[in-house]
Amino acid sequence: MPEPLVDPASPHDAAARAGPRAIAVLVGTAVIVATFVAYVLYARGAFERTQSLVLMADDGAGVTVGMDLTFSGFPVGRVQKIELAADGKARIEIDVPERDAKWLRASSVFTLERSLVGGARLRAFTGDLGDKPLPHGAVRQVLRGDATEELPGLIASAKRLLENLEHMTAQDSSLNASFESVRKLTERMGGAGGALAGILGSEENARKVITALDRANATLASLEKVSARLDGMLGKADESVFGPGGVMEETRKTVAQLNGALAEARESLKKADAILADAQKISASARDATTDLGSLRAEVEVTLRRVTTLIDEINRKWPFAREREVKLP
Amino acid sequence: MQATSPVRAFRWALFAAEALAAALSPSTYTAPVLALAARQLCAAAWDVLPGFVAACAVLGLLLIRIIDSTARDFGLAAHSLDLYVRLLVLELLPMLVALFVAVRSGAALGTEVALLRVSGALDRGNEALRAELLPRGIGVAAAVVALTVIGCALALAVAYFGLYGFSPWGHDAYARAVGNAFAPVVMAGFALKVAFFAVAVAVVPVAAAVGGPREMRSVPDAAPRGLVGVFLFLALAEGASIGLQYA
Repeated sequence: MPEPLVDPASPHDAAARAGPRAIAVLVGTAVIVATFVAYVLYARGAFERTQSLVLMADDGAGVTVGMDLTFSGFPVGRVQKIELAADGKARIEIDVPERDAKWLRASSVFTLERSLVGGARLRAFTGDLGDKPLPHGAVRQVLRGDATEELPGLIASAKRLLENLEHMTAQDSSLNASFESVRKLTERMGGAGGALAGILGSEENARKVITALDRANATLASLEKVSARLDGMLGKADESVFGPGGVMEETRKTVAQLNGALAEARESLKKADAILADAQKISASARDATTDLGSLRAEVEVTLRRVTTLIDEINRKWPFAREREVKLP
Repeated sequence: MQATSPVRAFRWALFAAEALAAALSPSTYTAPVLALAARQLCAAAWDVLPGFVAACAVLGLLLIRIIDSTARDFGLAAHSLDLYVRLLVLELLPMLVALFVAVRSGAALGTEVALLRVSGALDRGNEALRAELLPRGIGVAAAVVALTVIGCALALAVAYFGLYGFSPWGHDAYARAVGNAFAPVVMAGFALKVAFFAVAVAVVPVAAAVGGPREMRSVPDAAPRGLVGVFLFLALAEGASIGLQYA
């Protein structure tokens, strides 16, 4: 029989205490292990119903089993399997829990993004949440958003941009010349002539413009006076033409006189007609009739002269008579 | 004459295989064996539990704060829990627990076995091995497993409170990260590694003491020799585990 090795002084007490404690440790360990395994199964979605989604990508690099498919930053699915499809594309199978499937619609877009820092990210974008739900086992193409692939192009563009910037900021560049011109302009604008001197090139030109403006102002003032005087004259002319005893009234009277004279002339011509009829009938006694004709002619001439006088008078009094005369300078 | 390292390692492996076969045999678990194993388990795990729990909590809290703040600086806050789990729970804690148990119990066990060997108590053959060494090895191995499980569970709980405080709203993200980190293959590898650590801590110090010279002056060398063996095996196992997971 071998000698006891542990705590030989009180073997019974130690053994009595050790048994339950050892059992407690072992049972506690077993409970922790069982709980943890169950929790991991729960965390991995083993107890929830899922629907399958297949994403096809040109390049599956960076995609790992277990990585998340996110929607608005929240994980809504988990990669379960990656394989090379018959057409050479990466086939990514994703399990989407049914409670999160509502975020994915038939019109949803899926992207695979690879950033410089951190792993690849699978993201879903749904523009219309009212669209019909994504069917179970749906196959969708993944759009790529690779920052590293765009890097060479970006660097080339940045290089060109920097070169252009260098050209622009060189000592003899047009931009510098423009800035120099602007500086001169602002200096001139800040001088005695102000903005006018800046625009016109010199203070002398600005002064000329100011003088011209002063003169124009003076001319306008005198024109105002002329206009006022003209207004007075027009009032007076209006009064002299259309007022009582004016030209219009006189003309009206003259026209009445003319009508009278014309009636008299008409009477005289009737008499002449009668006399001529008699003269035709009595051609024999022409000599006698000649005396009567002489007196009649004198009478007609007098009448016509009066008419002519009246017309002349009208023409004189009528202010708007047409000027028939051509005046030479 | 001392055997060379590969030969010694082979002897230890052979001894471990015999011990494992005996430990897996139901006929081994007689009442005295169980009692002795229970006392060893208590000495290696129960007695140190308060200090161990406190140390794990402090270590976990420190690490999660450091990892989370660093990850946030680099814009990788979403990966901080994943990094923490991979670093502390899957790699560091099992290694630390194995070393802790090896230093605290394995060294003492090796020294006692060396003393037994010098005194001739182990000359009675297989019965002595079963009666004395096997229960103590089982107790040490169980202590490694128990402390690893308790430490890892505590570290995971501390990580939640370190990241989200006492708010329940971080649970979805936490569960997802834990679920991602503990894939079935990872869990199987973790269980295998912990089992190997337990066997190594239980067997190597005893095997080193049994395989040493039967002289009283060589007894003090038994514990360091066993510990070096344990460190070697743990390092190899850890290297193999990391190589398999991340290569």
